[in-house]
Amino acid sequence: MSTPRHWLYAAVPFTAAFFSLFWLSQSLWIPVKAELAQWLIERSWQASLQGNPQSRPWPWADTRAVAVMAVPDYGIRQVVLQGNSGRNLAFGPVFTEGTLNGKDWVISGHRDTHFGFLKKLKKGDLISIETPKASRWFEVRALDIVDSRHEVLVIEPGLERISLVTCYPFNSPDAGGPWRYVVTAIPLKNTLKPRLTSSG
Amino acid sequence: MPSQPSIRDQLEADAWKNHTRFAQNLLRRRSSHPDRKPLRWEDRALLLISIILLLLLILRVESARADDPFFGLEFQDPAGIHRSLALDTDIQVKITGLVARVEATQVFTNNGPQWAEATYRFPLPVGASVDQMRIDAGGRIIEGVIEEKKEALRQYQQAKTGGITASLVEQQRANQFQTRLANIGFGETVSVTLGFFAPVDYRDGLFSLQIPLTFSPRWEPEPSPASNITLMESHPAARIPGQDDHYLTVDVELDSGMQLASIESRFHDVEIHPSPGGYRVFLADPDTRMDRVFELNWAPELGTLPEATVSTFDDGDSIYALLMLAPPLMEAIAPQPREVVFIIDTSGSMSGTSMEQARAALKSGLEHLGPDDRFNLIRFSSDSEKLFRESEPAYPEFLQKATDFIEGLSADGGTVMAPALRMAMSLPEQDGLLRQIVFVTDGSIGNESELLLKIAEDLRDSRLFTVSIGSAPNAWFMRKSAEIGRGSHTHIGHVGEVEQRIGGLWSRIENPAVQNICIDWGMDAEFYPEIIPDLYAGEPLWVHARLPAEPRDVTVCGELDGRYWEMHTRAVTAAGSSSLASLWARDKIEALEDSLIFGAEPDAIRHEALGVALEYGLLTRYTSLIAVDKTPRRTPSEGLASENIASLLPAGNALSSGFSGTATGWKTQVLLSILSFFAATGMLLYIPPSRAANTGGDRSPMTALQP
Repeated sequence: MSTPRHWLYAAVPFTAAFFSLFWLSQSLWIPVKAELAQWLIERSWQASLQGNPQSRPWPWADTRAVAVMAVPDYGIRQVVLQGNSGRNLAFGPVFTEGTLNGKDWVISGHRDTHFGFLKKLKKGDLISIETPKASRWFEVRALDIVDSRHEVLVIEPGLERISLVTCYPFNSPDAGGPWRYVVTAIPLKNTLKPRLTSSG
Repeated sequence: MPSQPSIRDQLEADAWKNHTRFAQNLLRRRSSHPDRKPLRWEDRALLLISIILLLLLILRVESARADDPFFGLEFQDPAGIHRSLALDTDIQVKITGLVARVEATQVFTNNGPQWAEATYRFPLPVGASVDQMRIDAGGRIIEGVIEEKKEALRQYQQAKTGGITASLVEQQRANQFQTRLANIGFGETVSVTLGFFAPVDYRDGLFSLQIPLTFSPRWEPEPSPASNITLMESHPAARIPGQDDHYLTVDVELDSGMQLASIESRFHDVEIHPSPGGYRVFLADPDTRMDRVFELNWAPELGTLPEATVSTFDDGDSIYALLMLAPPLMEAIAPQPREVVFIIDTSGSMSGTSMEQARAALKSGLEHLGPDDRFNLIRFSSDSEKLFRESEPAYPEFLQKATDFIEGLSADGGTVMAPALRMAMSLPEQDGLLRQIVFVTDGSIGNESELLLKIAEDLRDSRLFTVSIGSAPNAWFMRKSAEIGRGSHTHIGHVGEVEQRIGGLWSRIENPAVQNICIDWGMDAEFYPEIIPDLYAGEPLWVHARLPAEPRDVTVCGELDGRYWEMHTRAVTAAGSSSLASLWARDKIEALEDSLIFGAEPDAIRHEALGVALEYGLLTRYTSLIAVDKTPRRTPSEGLASENIASLLPAGNALSSGFSGTATGWKTQVLLSILSFFAATGMLLYIPPSRAANTGGDRSPMTALQP
């Protein structure tokens, strides 16, 4: 004879399993959403290229595609969104507010979704940025690790430059760290387009 | 034993009827079965683990790093946290009167694997506030400056937008200074200098200064220090191998302005040398560890007559002078007859232990009355009531009446102080007797300024002594009213302290030393405190002054034993330190704020006080300490400079952008959720075999959940 086990013995692990599955689905949804969104955004980008700049990726979206960034060496092609908000970052790389009007652009992306490729970038790599108006090639000139608690990115309206920002270290299990990885690229000096052209 | 029928019994009875299995279980639980087995430890552990897991899942608690009180430099780099003890610590102390100016310099090296951010913490004595800071980190100089609060904030914002390292220095905890430094390279040396004022403790004829220097494992001083300074704990793992060769130097300039009977360091061996202004104290052992409080105690040599000394400091503009009056020995003064009026607060807030303490204090006051003294008692709450129409001599019959009056007091009603004070001040004067009003209250009042004004207007020659009782007295009001009343303030925190604290007060006030003190500097002088208190036995007095020229002869006059008393003193030139100027400025700001009580224009006072605070670099309620990186901006690396691409450099009035959170952490979350799912499933699976092993086929709700 033994005492029947308390109902908690079953209920607690059962609930735990349920929550785990819920959590798993939630966390897996993040990369899935990132991929799906890019596909929808790509469509709206094509629409804006065809003269419909107000085209939205999905009807209730509060962002729109403003540029395409490509790094052909690594097979990267991503649509960049407007509005540097946490929600937009889930869908793709974003332009920091206010930098879009000048030439000194800051583009941020999640290190574990779209901007994971930044760790592969090295000096001299070429990045293409295509907007509805123009297409331009940039060359990577600096890779920096900075502390977001003490430093800010300085924006110089007259300077032509792009800064790609993502979290650092790349494989950190912690999502809230203070470090950022900043890739700085400036326009190619010669006006000739590189042979690697694949877009535009 | 039959008990009252309860709702629980009723529910159980119902359950019994409805569900026989439940009833059986209940029976089994209630009648302690001989074969009932206690929970197996595996089951207990399992249950515990699963509950914890569930809680973690629901809350997804983020691990907050423990707030540990490590003092020194703590480096954080991507590889983790490592700590550095100071290689060298140099403590320079200048003691002037009741204030010590401390400058602490510490040198560190980043011996970690890479460049890092660091947090610097320094333990502060109670009541200290840092007003000076300089950090030299591998050629970068970050210096703290005192600015007006708004201006400091503006500069901070500006520096931030400009990409310059800047920080508003805040004292997050009362006894700890903390600041952060970014980008310290490998092997780089960091030197931090802090300047702060620390109060000197004075009690029962002994001066005491404590500087917590607890950077390495805590060492319990024996015997435990009598004063109320808490020892700061430090991290047990703070000592780093190979870094134990750090040096501590302590250099104290003790300019007490008087002859000292003794100087003693409580926990360190020291060397003491006489110096022009007083004494210098050094640590005797060069290998002193930073594991204990530095405590210096000194006692003045008191003569039979009051003494006065003046030390000065010349900042090129004005002369700052410190006049120190040393009272005569207690035995040298003949007790002087006086009239004591006790005022006791019997409002509702005094009920309980406060009333007990007040009664004890009053009774001990009655015992201390001399045969020639007169006394009276006034109680107040919503109304006021005096014991005698006119103060009576301390004869047994009157003392008995007073004791009965005190016993009969009960705490009730509101706190209306003004009529009681007026009653005391308007008692018929007793010929030739000094009136001392002893005011016992828990100080919960609102109209402070009004009361202070009344005291200043009506007190005339009487002296006011305040005794505050309980845990939350209005300390500022109690202290200020005693200052205006040329008396002193005593605080009684708990019943056990009554005898000691109040005893000190009685023995002090039965021997008034020098009254109605006047000072002739021989020129126009701006000196503080404006109201010079009486000189009581065993309690030296300091006056800070700003003078247009070096004083030649300072005359102090007053009344001693009812006779005119005068003495001349010559200035000890250039013996004073630069802190005389800051001390004078501190007193001036306090006096300016006090003038608000007497109806000064707040805006004008604010403006003037701010001006003084900025001129003398004082941390006040109008100013902040802001630290700005004063280094020429870091030059970008070669080749990049011409192309102007380093996005982290400041450039004119450029815009700037902060950083957004650019990580989702989904991989970690997936991993964790899978792990927790397996753990949960594992637990579910684990249950059936263990049940099967010790159940004889009886079904329980568990079985239904088997997969």
